[in-house]
Amino acid sequence: MGDAIVVTSGKGGVGKTTSSANIGTALALLGKKVCLVDTDIGLRNLDVVMGLENRIIFDIVDVATGSCRLEQALIKDKRFDHLVLLPAAQTKDKLALSVDAMQTIIRNLKAQFDYIVIDCPAGIEHGFRVAITGADQAVVVTTPEQAAVRDADRVIGLLEGVKLPPAKLVINRIRPHMVKNGDMLDIDDIVGILSLDLLGIVPDDEHVIRAANQGEPTVLRPDSRASLAYRNIARRILGDSVPLMNLEDDAGFFKRMKKLIGLR
Amino acid sequence: MAKSARSTASEGKRNLVTIKGIRNGLVFALAEDAPFTDVLTELEDKLLGSHQHLLSGSTLSAYIEKGKRQLSEDEEKALRRIFASQGELIVSGLDGPPPLKDWRPKDPYVHKGTLRSGQLIEHDGDVVVIGDVNPGAHIIASGDVFVMGRLRGSAHAGAGGDVLSVVAATYFEPLQVRIAGVVRRSPETYTRAAEMEFAYLEGNQMAVEKMSVLAQHRMRTRSSHAVI
Repeated sequence: MGDAIVVTSGKGGVGKTTSSANIGTALALLGKKVCLVDTDIGLRNLDVVMGLENRIIFDIVDVATGSCRLEQALIKDKRFDHLVLLPAAQTKDKLALSVDAMQTIIRNLKAQFDYIVIDCPAGIEHGFRVAITGADQAVVVTTPEQAAVRDADRVIGLLEGVKLPPAKLVINRIRPHMVKNGDMLDIDDIVGILSLDLLGIVPDDEHVIRAANQGEPTVLRPDSRASLAYRNIARRILGDSVPLMNLEDDAGFFKRMKKLIGLR
Repeated sequence: MAKSARSTASEGKRNLVTIKGIRNGLVFALAEDAPFTDVLTELEDKLLGSHQHLLSGSTLSAYIEKGKRQLSEDEEKALRRIFASQGELIVSGLDGPPPLKDWRPKDPYVHKGTLRSGQLIEHDGDVVVIGDVNPGAHIIASGDVFVMGRLRGSAHAGAGGDVLSVVAATYFEPLQVRIAGVVRRSPETYTRAAEMEFAYLEGNQMAVEKMSVLAQHRMRTRSSHAVI
């Protein structure tokens, strides 16, 4: 029996889809059977980030309405045999996916996979309620911005209303130098407001954008800091205790000088 | 001459405007079925004429009890103009006196845990939150609000009009505080106080003091009420 994890945030654009793709891929990298589920009906993105857009034949609404079997809609990843995607519908109405249908789908997926990572749409309306139904745990993604933290707080409150255990927090797109200068909320502030356990912190990284455009999850690139952050998150989901990564920029002037001297 | 003619006109008829005293002001009950102009005339007579000596002195709240009568905008203006010209009365309501406060202490509502954005506690009585109140969360209490934690949301104490209510928090950083009808929003930045603080009303101004002053505030306001 697998574990269903919903990735949610309230606010749009904080990195739900990127986080879903990377956490799912990282879990697959660690040898787990993983199914990614995109519930953002009408604005699907997860397939694009995973580079699987051109393989979609059936989608989650087809499964919900009985137009196809669940297995037919699951798209096998290019890189891992044990990683699949259940894509959202792009052309159908968002009310086409009901809470009951979603529950059935997740129950069936849990029988086949170790982890089901559910990418939640932005907002707190129907799509959100559908996405969290059937989930066993929730990951709330936020960025170090007041508005994102506000929305995360709202979503955490709503999650507390259902029987889920306390959500875990991912703080995305941290810019260490801005935090240092006091221009950005720091991690302690955010954790203080939201009073949740921290699942991970992800530094702002250009690799993420490049990777998303190439349809290749960042986590597969060993040289990126965001990649390491997502791998750590996946390990923590599996129960390992991994220390938070040090966000200090290692490209300081002196360090670069030392490197140069060292090279000589 | 004209004045006496008017008063004789209303004589022999029933009262169109009945004045009743209540604890915190006066209630003016307007006859429902009489023509509005007659009611206005009688009100003017009573306020500026016959009852003037009774009404002079300190400022009082006037509660108008219009019954089933629907007031047009002009009628309401005319009504308010009469009260304004009298000077000592402040029109505080058009729908009769405020409901009598139940003086029996009400049970406080205790919330344990973080109150998050979008969550609302509304309670007739005191509200105690053991935990933080985050921005976007809202507390509305007819009594006091106590937050054993960080108050960063909005709190409204004395929502039924009780000006003696207070809002208190271990870390007092609210976005907005209301006490009775007075609203104050947050300053741009809070300087963090070392101890628990509370907000209260000083006349029509809101003031924030450290918690140790609360007892004095209570004493003062209670004794000043005893005088009234």
